[in-house]
Amino acid sequence: MTSSDAAPIDLERMTEQLLKEIERTTKSSDMAARIATNRIRVAVGQTPKEQIWALNKMRLYHYYPMVPPEQRKPVPLLLVFALINRPYIFDLRPGNSFVEYMLRHGYEVYLLDWGRPGLEDANYDFEDFSLKFLPRAIRAMKRHSGKQEFSMLGWCIGATIVTIYAAMRPDDGLRNLILLTAPIDFSDKEGSTFSRWLNTEYYNVDELVRQFGNVPAAIIEYGNKMLKPVENYIGTYLKLWDNLDNPAVVEAWLAMNTWVTDNVDFPGAAFRQWVVEFFRENRLMENKLMMEGRVVDLANIKANLLNVIADKDHIVPNCQSRSIMDRVGSKDKKLIELKGGHIGIMVGSGASKRAWPQIEEWLSERSK
Amino acid sequence: MTQPPNGFDPNDPIGTWRAWRDASLDAWAKSLTAMVNTETFSQAIGAQLDALLAISGPIQQTVQQYMERYLAQAQLPSRSEMVTLASRLTNIEFRLDDMQAQLDELTSLVRQLATNGTLAPTDVSVIGDRLTAIEEQLTALAAARPAARARKTTSEDKE
Repeated sequence: MTSSDAAPIDLERMTEQLLKEIERTTKSSDMAARIATNRIRVAVGQTPKEQIWALNKMRLYHYYPMVPPEQRKPVPLLLVFALINRPYIFDLRPGNSFVEYMLRHGYEVYLLDWGRPGLEDANYDFEDFSLKFLPRAIRAMKRHSGKQEFSMLGWCIGATIVTIYAAMRPDDGLRNLILLTAPIDFSDKEGSTFSRWLNTEYYNVDELVRQFGNVPAAIIEYGNKMLKPVENYIGTYLKLWDNLDNPAVVEAWLAMNTWVTDNVDFPGAAFRQWVVEFFRENRLMENKLMMEGRVVDLANIKANLLNVIADKDHIVPNCQSRSIMDRVGSKDKKLIELKGGHIGIMVGSGASKRAWPQIEEWLSERSK
Repeated sequence: MTQPPNGFDPNDPIGTWRAWRDASLDAWAKSLTAMVNTETFSQAIGAQLDALLAISGPIQQTVQQYMERYLAQAQLPSRSEMVTLASRLTNIEFRLDDMQAQLDELTSLVRQLATNGTLAPTDVSVIGDRLTAIEEQLTALAAARPAARARKTTSEDKE
């Protein structure tokens, strides 16, 4: 194409475009003002549920089934999210909810909410979360469901916690284990930005924990956002600005933003262990992580394993999630690599077309 | 409408500006993402944390000491006392949760025993025997009652 093909200057069309933009900007400004003054709120975590157990700050929820009893799967599913965000990401909005999707496919769905830790919880570490709190929640779920076997899905740090549980309690009834973007193997120090930042030389984790007890959510959020500073501090708001005249996009953005900014303090001892024993020393993969006086051996995991990783995950790079496949004792194991990011694989527009059906299909065959 | 070459349309300055903005932002995002993944930036993050800790440490200590003294004088519990109390409550919660689980286990065991037939036959025969014995006693009582009443009437007549 040559320069002679370029469209000629058309003042009338140019004026038309400008007017259209001015009109859009006027509408958008009104919407932007309403968002900025908190006059628009989006409800999240709307699927009906009941709280069936509580211990300290933890809560276990049971979602009301959506299908008749004869269509329900006999093996209940427990969802476990990370310690640093709220678990309603599993049930973000009606129509964009993994919980809703699984309920419609006949699963008995339970959700564990770790809660917001107080200063009295600063001494809890991964041993407490994996082997003291989680088994109690599972016990409550078994009691409620009347089933001894169950499936469990852990996401992000929640996946690390359920992995430890599966390795240490292999005979506790866990039939199916699903890991989503699981940070397990920290051997590749170049592969992860966090690994660089949390390097012993630079990052004074001991003093941070000593001073604050629990690591403030703001510090965690800052770290997460700084991984992609332009996207998180500018790009996301520009995307909103460009779509302020589209209510559906605004609603989706607000729901996601509600979740992204709703962070939780990281219990101090767990954070220290996360940095030192996981990131720096890679003890879990090197069979050096000790809990209850024993080594946490991944070879003890017997449950059927589905390991889901995201190809564009910048928070937990694939190298941290992939290698567990060679270490577990499970005979039935599968790795799926999906398009998307750390959160996007389960919440983005493609989740209901890619991640959810694949997880459901795998689980369905093993929940009979 | 003629398709503008290379996405450039002189009649849509806003669209052109937006395309330029997005392209610049992409380039900027890529370079900054690469930058945060460097050793130098890791040092900067560490230095930032050190600066924060250097400022917040003395402030936290001073505030804590002052508040401890103030709260003690005002006859109010301090933060550390509240934390101790909360920890004790959590421990009690744990014990209660374990007790509840044990109780549930026992209840379910009893139900299981009752439904799987281990207890039932023994129970039924024992209860059956006891009921027969009670019935016999009731029959004997019923037979004895008119005689006793008759004796009572006779003695009242005599008086």
